[in-house]
Amino acid sequence: MASERPGSSSLADVLDRILDKGIVIDIWARISVVGIEILTVEARVVAASVDTFLHYAAEISKIEQATQSGDFEDLQDLEIKQSPAMRAQSQ
Amino acid sequence: MSSNLYTYGVIEKESIELDERGVDGGTPIRTVDYRTLSAVVSDIDTMEPERTDENARAHDEVLREVLLYDGGRTIVPMQFGMTFKSGRTLKSVLRGGRRAFRQALNDVDGMIELGVKLVADEGADLDREAIREDVGGRLAEVSARETDDDLYSDRLVLNRAYLVERDGEEAFGDAVEAIREDYGETLRVQYNGPWAPYNFVDIEIGAQGR
Repeated sequence: MASERPGSSSLADVLDRILDKGIVIDIWARISVVGIEILTVEARVVAASVDTFLHYAAEISKIEQATQSGDFEDLQDLEIKQSPAMRAQSQ
Repeated sequence: MSSNLYTYGVIEKESIELDERGVDGGTPIRTVDYRTLSAVVSDIDTMEPERTDENARAHDEVLREVLLYDGGRTIVPMQFGMTFKSGRTLKSVLRGGRRAFRQALNDVDGMIELGVKLVADEGADLDREAIREDVGGRLAEVSARETDDDLYSDRLVLNRAYLVERDGEEAFGDAVEAIREDYGETLRVQYNGPWAPYNFVDIEIGAQGR
């Protein structure tokens, strides 16, 4: 039995992805050179376990606080680890 | 004047140049670096490219090319329409969002996205829950992560995106083939991809106070 190859993608599948998903950057950040202190960055993990999400949310809020207070450069050591639940799922 | 940049996604720093035609026919596809990151871009005249079928396909095809060509590489995809005024504004955003971009690159490192749909005939009498459990379980075994079902039509029994190791595509394809053998009589099995991992990254960046 040969391994099946994915079929060609329909336009509907393409539109579903490129219009609703992926990185979004607002127009102000795209037309003006702004300092990091006024950029807001929100990042979420999609479809990971709740544990992983909560862990990320905590880490990301640290990043956001640092961004707002302007000492973003001090967060070089910040590490976001996979939770055990996520690792188990990826076995 | 072609001073604006249309962006497709973010990769680990690498210099790329492709002859492919991008959104609004922009060519070549090239990269703009900030530290350890590169954005994949092409020149464009407007800040608001039209959402034509041709442009939608071009955006997706550039991503797939970057995802696969020359051994392939991890890419975090942009939503359609992310144009920048200049290389400076793009670098400013790469700088401000670099933590999130790095994290997203780590999350999907070495991964591709594959899509699976099971479509039933109109009014078919099926134990949908049992099928979802069986098929979902078999596909979960050969993938790292999955989305929830997006059952936008009554005919859809299962519709999920899967995050799969690049090297695991064959095993995933084997599982899909086995599912087709078991369910092909009653269900249409649609298998598509590989996609950039659209469903497994979610980053929003804005400028405050505007």
